Amino acid sequence: MSEHHHDHLNATHTHDGKPIQNDEPPSIEAESLETAVRELLMEKGVITADELRGAIEAQEQRRPELGAKIIARAWVDEDFKQKLLSHGDMAVRSFGVDMKPTELCVVENTEEVHNLVVCTLCSCYPRAILGIPPAWYKRRDYRSRAVREPRSVLSEFGTIISEDRQVRVHDSNADLRYLVLPIRPSGTDDWSEEDLAELVTRDSMIGVAEAITPDG
Amino acid sequence: MRGPQDYGGLPAGLVDPVKNEHEPTHWERRVDAIMLLLFDPKRRLARVDESRRMQEALGDDYHKYPYYERWLQAITWLLLEKGVFTQEELDKKREEVRSRLEAERNG
Repeated sequence: MSEHHHDHLNATHTHDGKPIQNDEPPSIEAESLETAVRELLMEKGVITADELRGAIEAQEQRRPELGAKIIARAWVDEDFKQKLLSHGDMAVRSFGVDMKPTELCVVENTEEVHNLVVCTLCSCYPRAILGIPPAWYKRRDYRSRAVREPRSVLSEFGTIISEDRQVRVHDSNADLRYLVLPIRPSGTDDWSEEDLAELVTRDSMIGVAEAITPDG
Repeated sequence: MRGPQDYGGLPAGLVDPVKNEHEPTHWERRVDAIMLLLFDPKRRLARVDESRRMQEALGDDYHKYPYYERWLQAITWLLLEKGVFTQEELDKKREEVRSRLEAERNG
């Protein structure tokens, strides 16, 4: 691959090496490369415009609300919860989620343990359940520090874990994705599954936050 | 030896989750969708580990790329390596696309 090293696209970045805010349009270099690759793939019959549109729509439909439904089910249905913890991939199939080619490992928060998910090497994430990962999850600061000083990182999300609870950090990889099962908030005993799902945020399933408590 | 992607445990700055949060742009969604299609069972033209090999080969430049630009560069190299299109075809197409986009941007 060395021969390709000469034509790096001129990445859009600031002088300190940090990516620009991604709500800006991409550089003409980046946009022209993407457009050229896309058009070549279509001309060669590798992908079609319909397939591309379909893939974009499918990805837009994978949102954390789906994960929230799965967590709420686990809170109300002990059998489902046990299945989710032991055979994650199989359990989420009933929600139409296909984890292939990766495996899903669901880790449960308890009074003793708080779980936090990171991918230090890249950006592996349970995309089939939560959609596209947040920008901070893919950035260096989170990836570097989550494994060394998780409590400090958590505090930057406003999440303080008491010293008597252990913090366990899970480093995802290309084949194995983690999802956190947050603690069901107290005071929700008579809540419906649908209402419970409203308390489950994306961040609580990554482990940077806890589920929302009913009193806010 | 630690590769450029191997960030775990290194000193780094604040996460600043409020600032570093945004809905993916249309362009990012397109890159994402192209990748998913290339990875899918119908095509199997690339795998996540292959794409990572290409990203990690960026060396020190790894840090300079915004996320999706890094992925885009990686899949472009993979497609060249696998002979899906040639460097010559890509250069020609890119030149043509660039003039078109410049004309659009200049309005």
